[in-house]
Amino acid sequence: MTHKIKRYGAALLWAVAAALTIAACFWLDNYWLRIWTSVLMYVAITQGLNVIVGFAGYHSFGNAAFFGTGAYGAAMLITAGWPLWAALLGTTAGGALLALLLGPPLLRLKGHYFAIATVALNAALAELILNVGGWTGGAQGISLPMSDMSPIALYRQVYLLMFGGAAAATLIVFWLSRSRFGYAVRASKDSEDGAKAMGINTTAVRVAAWMLSGAVTAYAGGVWAYWINFIEVGSAFDVSLSVKAYIMLLMGGMGSVVGPILGAAFFEVLATLVWSKFGALHNLMLGVLVCAVVLFVPRGVIIPMRRYFARRKSVGRAV
Amino acid sequence: MFAQTIVNGLLLGGVYGLATIGFSMVWGVMGIINLAHGAYIMIGAYIAVVAFNAFGIDPFMAIPLAMAVLFVIGFLIQRFLLNSVLKTGLLLSLALTFGVNLVLVDLFVAGFSSDLRSVRTSYGSDAIEIAGVLIPSVRLGACVLALLLAWGFHFFLSRSRHGQAILATALDREIAQTMGINPTLTYALTAGAGAALAGAAGCMAAMLFPVSPHLGNSFISAVFVITVLGGIGTLGGAIVAGFMFGLIQSAASAIWGVGTQEIVAFVFFLVALVLRPQGLFGRKYFGENT
Repeated sequence: MTHKIKRYGAALLWAVAAALTIAACFWLDNYWLRIWTSVLMYVAITQGLNVIVGFAGYHSFGNAAFFGTGAYGAAMLITAGWPLWAALLGTTAGGALLALLLGPPLLRLKGHYFAIATVALNAALAELILNVGGWTGGAQGISLPMSDMSPIALYRQVYLLMFGGAAAATLIVFWLSRSRFGYAVRASKDSEDGAKAMGINTTAVRVAAWMLSGAVTAYAGGVWAYWINFIEVGSAFDVSLSVKAYIMLLMGGMGSVVGPILGAAFFEVLATLVWSKFGALHNLMLGVLVCAVVLFVPRGVIIPMRRYFARRKSVGRAV
Repeated sequence: MFAQTIVNGLLLGGVYGLATIGFSMVWGVMGIINLAHGAYIMIGAYIAVVAFNAFGIDPFMAIPLAMAVLFVIGFLIQRFLLNSVLKTGLLLSLALTFGVNLVLVDLFVAGFSSDLRSVRTSYGSDAIEIAGVLIPSVRLGACVLALLLAWGFHFFLSRSRHGQAILATALDREIAQTMGINPTLTYALTAGAGAALAGAAGCMAAMLFPVSPHLGNSFISAVFVITVLGGIGTLGGAIVAGFMFGLIQSAASAIWGVGTQEIVAFVFFLVALVLRPQGLFGRKYFGENT
């Protein structure tokens, strides 16, 4: 009984949080709307990273490759006259397709090797787009057509689109945390041989996980391109995007559903507040922040907190 | 023209190889991918720039100074930051070195601005002509010196006690400890020596490329490619792969145009990584004792 109440309580809590997040876009001012839009974007990216790193155990350091591909895909489709929804749909599918094509060769690599291969992939895609020219705009980047909506309506639309991405990504992670497929992904991470013995096709499971990760990240990139209206290779394929998402994942705790949300919100809001004070030195502050997280809270905040409460509970019971 | 491009690229290979040795050794010995390595190269380049522009010291003469400064920087960063995350695995060390890189680069942006600086020596445009191909003397000098320094480091590794300790730790961290090798010191020493070589490469880079705080970012991708091509933690592999990298890049730019050299290098890298992840000269166990 209490178990059921707990579960409904949690569902209710999530629903209220989602409703509040949606409602927020109608009373936030422009400044905070922008910050929270970027928080939602990072929630989507971090959850996407959570799928491949937290669940599948593959350290993708170049998920910005999907973000950049998504941004360029959406920008090119929108410029070609596709409606927004179709462009975003195409972008999301494109992200999954890219992961499907690159997954089989790259996911054979383990540990370090996979991590650098993703960094190289990111750099190679960036160079490719830079040099193809024509449709991709090469070094000039792409200017998207101006929207005919009023600015505030546009920002609200972007906010809601980002919210959709963040919510979908969180639902995917939630689903992974309790579905058959999710267990298969985690089993492949913990013991490849064991998982195979249980009849799991570990390669297929990993590729599928990377496709989910790629699709979510590409969607976020697509909305981002629509949002900022001008994209170029340097900002779309920025490795520090991957690394920021990594830090958010670290802070929140890997493999947890709620962790990446808290990590993204905390980091982005903190970073924005700090950066507005430091201006030119904001990368320095980001670097210090990254080092501080790694040195002082390397296990994130969620897992130690949960453990603390669990210990208190069991101590109480023993007494 | 083709031969000229190839010669220019090949001569760069030595500098690339030298820039890679430290990165490769650190990775091989302690399993850390040091993303701040590019910043070490950049600092070396700035030492050459300041020494030349403010004090008129020849960039080749500034190399010992740069090596000494970077040895200290690399040693201290390893000892007080990186050693503490060594046992926790790949992710944290990557994130931490990324953070260190951001701090170092931004410090130089603050101190020197992002403007491009260059070192123009009186002999900067001299060249020796052999069979119609011009051999730029700066590139030749840098290449020869890079090979000498690599040879010196090889000598240090194979002949000195500390060098032997580094090699033993690369082979097997635990067994090395039971032989009485102090890991903390060995790690810091490896990082310091690697940073010193990066500093020397940076001084040479200052004569060949325009210098900005972001110089390291363009180097680090080459360093990655060369490390993996040559085999992680192998000194000779880094040098040979450095020349291969210079050759591939210059051949690509001669055949398909300058813009393609990075793509070709990365595609080559990805293919090598998938087909032969231990590198062309690496042995499987190097770099895997994380």
